[in-house]
Amino acid sequence: MADFKSKLKGLFFFKEPEKIEKFILKENESRNSSSENKEKDSEEREGRTSRDNNNKESSKKRGVKTPIARIKQVGAKDEEKSEGSDEDDKGSKDISGMTKVSKKLSDNLAYIKEKYTIPVNSDIVIREFNITVKGKTIPTFIVFIDGMTDTKVLDLAILQPLMLLSNMEIKDDDNEVGNIIRDHLLPHNQIQIVTELSDVVDDINFGGCGVFVDGIDKAFTADVKGWKSRSIERPNTEMVIRGPQEGFNEILRTNTGLIRKILKDEDLIAENISVGRRSKTPCSLMYIKDIANESLVNEVRRRLEGIKIDYLFDSGELEQLIEDNPYLAAPQILATERPDRVASMLTEGKVAIVVQGSPFVLVMPTTHIDLFHTPEDSYLRFPYANMLRIIRISAIAMSLLLPGFYIAITTFHQEMIPTDLLFAIEASREKVPFPSLVEILIMEFAFEFIREAGVRIPGPLGSTLGIIGGLILGQAAVAANIVSPILIIIVAVTGIGSFAVPNFSLGYAYRIIKFVYIFLAATAGFLGIAIGLFLQGLWLTSSKSFGIPFMAPIAPVTNGGLTDQILRTPIWKQEKRPDFLNAKNNRKQEHFSRKWVQDDKKK
Amino acid sequence: MKKYKFISFIIAIVLQGTMLTGCYDAREIDDMAYPIALGFDKGESNELRMTLQIAVPVNIAGGEGGGGGDGEKGVTVVTVDTPSIYSGLSMLNTFLSKQINLSHLKAIVFSKEIAMEGVSKYLHAMIRNREFRPNARVIVSRCPAEEFISAVKPKLETNPAKYYELLLSAYKYTGFSTDTQLIGFYHKTESDSIQAVAVLADVSEYESSDEFSIDSSTYKQKGRSYPLEGDFKAGDLPKTGELNIEVMGLAVFNGGKMVGELDGEETTYHLMLEGKFKSMLFTMPDPMDSENFIVLNIMKSRKTKKKVEMHGDKPKLYAKVFLEGDILSIQKGTNYENEKNTPMLEEATEIFIKEGVIKYLDKSINVFGTDTNGFGKQYKSKFLTWNDWEQFDWLTKYKQSNYEIDIDVNIRRPGLITKTVPEVIGN
Repeated sequence: MADFKSKLKGLFFFKEPEKIEKFILKENESRNSSSENKEKDSEEREGRTSRDNNNKESSKKRGVKTPIARIKQVGAKDEEKSEGSDEDDKGSKDISGMTKVSKKLSDNLAYIKEKYTIPVNSDIVIREFNITVKGKTIPTFIVFIDGMTDTKVLDLAILQPLMLLSNMEIKDDDNEVGNIIRDHLLPHNQIQIVTELSDVVDDINFGGCGVFVDGIDKAFTADVKGWKSRSIERPNTEMVIRGPQEGFNEILRTNTGLIRKILKDEDLIAENISVGRRSKTPCSLMYIKDIANESLVNEVRRRLEGIKIDYLFDSGELEQLIEDNPYLAAPQILATERPDRVASMLTEGKVAIVVQGSPFVLVMPTTHIDLFHTPEDSYLRFPYANMLRIIRISAIAMSLLLPGFYIAITTFHQEMIPTDLLFAIEASREKVPFPSLVEILIMEFAFEFIREAGVRIPGPLGSTLGIIGGLILGQAAVAANIVSPILIIIVAVTGIGSFAVPNFSLGYAYRIIKFVYIFLAATAGFLGIAIGLFLQGLWLTSSKSFGIPFMAPIAPVTNGGLTDQILRTPIWKQEKRPDFLNAKNNRKQEHFSRKWVQDDKKK
Repeated sequence: MKKYKFISFIIAIVLQGTMLTGCYDAREIDDMAYPIALGFDKGESNELRMTLQIAVPVNIAGGEGGGGGDGEKGVTVVTVDTPSIYSGLSMLNTFLSKQINLSHLKAIVFSKEIAMEGVSKYLHAMIRNREFRPNARVIVSRCPAEEFISAVKPKLETNPAKYYELLLSAYKYTGFSTDTQLIGFYHKTESDSIQAVAVLADVSEYESSDEFSIDSSTYKQKGRSYPLEGDFKAGDLPKTGELNIEVMGLAVFNGGKMVGELDGEETTYHLMLEGKFKSMLFTMPDPMDSENFIVLNIMKSRKTKKKVEMHGDKPKLYAKVFLEGDILSIQKGTNYENEKNTPMLEEATEIFIKEGVIKYLDKSINVFGTDTNGFGKQYKSKFLTWNDWEQFDWLTKYKQSNYEIDIDVNIRRPGLITKTVPEVIGN
């Protein structure tokens, strides 16, 4: 009984909770570490001694020791212990001040170990061994990152020759160890001799293998990349019926190779520029030397080189970093998954940027009309292509204006509706409790929900969404008198229209602007829509993409640029490149590209 | 700082846009009542008796996503005595829950009585308001407008608005009425080169087919021994059925005042002269045997040519009407498809139509004295200045006109029978 009583007591009376110390991420700690990161670069240049002083100062100021600094010291000590014998404290101090490859193998090893925080970092592999050159045994080590390298290639092309071939007699008078190794002992196709330690580290970070040999102040890096990647698949966002079905994948060289495979042009330049102070993401700036305008190429290069960020992951980020106007709704750089599209744009005199790790290649400059095109347009015969373009443009106009039009007509301009339809709308709206603005917003938001959920939903649940979306939001909303059936049609047509936008970014832009038009129409009817169109026109015509007016060649009108813009002429009439691109060579085919027609007449 | 400036600018625009306009004009569709016909009678307790036929969309479109509507319940009719149109609308809204919106008005009905007095004052009021559709049709009802509107009970369609639209464009294939849109009607009442007509309509007088009589037909005045299909005015047709109203013939206006009526046949000739004629099924006596009929499908082949010349003080009107016809029926069995006989048929048709046109024009000049056919419009181009034309006073001069009419008929197609063979009767 007493037990029961005390239990009851425990239930109803206040008991002081036990004190549990939980982990809390403190603000100043993280701030310190980030500022420490900043300091690190400069410290490396200044050397270890000054760094120790700094550490003391900073620790005095903030009273907290940074974890990174500590780890580094631990790493350094570890390496001292393992290396042991001939290293003293002075030597270890020199290591972090090193920038060039040292003649002493142990220095290099220590540097690498400190740099990669070994043994904390588990996927960095250092393999030490000896090689024999001209009878001399030389200690050597290679370093690479497990998982990023192809171990087979590493074994066959680096380790095996160094360890086995070096024992064979080398018929060469050259006694320089470095040269012998390069010329005879490393039968790999991409060997670079580097003297800067940072270059070696960059290469290792990008799936290379560093080879250090005792006694020479050079290191070798071999390209033994072997990371797993997606194979070349169909481009998911830009499907075509007629035309090549290859899409880019995440590997830079595969992507540049895909473009080069199509163009087969020695004037195609692929400049290497790396972006990101830490990530050093390799980007390839591609253009055709004797077509693309030099100043355009220089501008793109200037913008690429002027980016100061730590990490760059995707071309989507790069796009935001180099575009002209980040506040403009429409994208000013075209991102495409299709090598053939990039190739055809390069031949017009545009510039492409391929980013390592992104299946989307950026093409610039881009005009608004480019965003309406699909790669298929030029593969189809011109009557079909034109029909598609007209349909596409009207679909895009629908996706932008239809909800606004509906609001404007039903709330301001009832006289425009055919009487039969008017009565149908009125009858269906009779029991709907909301004004049409609220009604359309409900449905548009519902549709946007479905859309967003459709992208995020896990595959097995996909069919659930169809049921919820189609049945509940469509049929049940009408049955519950929350929306009128006509509105479902409006929202559906708008949705379908927005899927017909060939450029995904532009689709987003128009989805947002659509809401602006809904509100404009609700405040002032057609007047509001007209004002909206006017302002949007101003906005777009005043913007530029890499020095080219965004609405070219419509505003400003340029000479003879309309062969493949809104509509398309037959391919043999597209003799010139768009004038606004100011390409070095403006003509892309001879005046008579169908030469055989002339030959026919002669007979 | 610059960014905040931009943002505050945007906010200011948005606030002004919404606050100042405040959705001022915005009305939801279902917050309004849409009359489809508006009738004017002489009022008894006040100046004007106004009748509105208001659509009930729930009954028309069925609501609830289907169910089908009912033509009779699709409308409700309200009548009010009022000093003017707009005061009447206000009076109506004291008991109609929804605001009246006239933008879908299909028919404006004047009773004959009020049309005789003049409709200009009402026309002005209507034209001034943007809600009145310019393409609403003007109708003159021989009975009170209230009675006419109440009698409109469409059977073939659920939507009475559609009924008006289709019924009043039937002239394109009957030739018995015309297109009298409000805007054109108004312009013609104000014009000094052409005068207005309005469609004539009435409620049928016969309850059953036993009561049919052709006493009120116009065939006797035309010297016929039997009426043809065009020898009636609205309300006189020997017909019965659930559809109670008739639309046939025209009311002729001089300015805003009605001066006379035309029957169906005369309406056809009016259409031919004015140039609005499209096609019709045309019955005429067989030239070889007046006991039997020939039926042609007559169509316009070219635009009517009109010309006016002044002979002294009197205008002379020239008109040439170009028609073509398909043979629909030859009752007698004469072989008119034959190369020799076709010209004979053509000539007979020309003479028959010409006689009719002359009779109509005679009536137009001498009885009504109104140029509803647009000869004045033709002649206006001969004047250098507007003042000259105004002083010329065409509408008065028209009353002394002579005329010369030419009809050109081509028989084109005999239909599916290419050679008529008389019936063979065995002994």
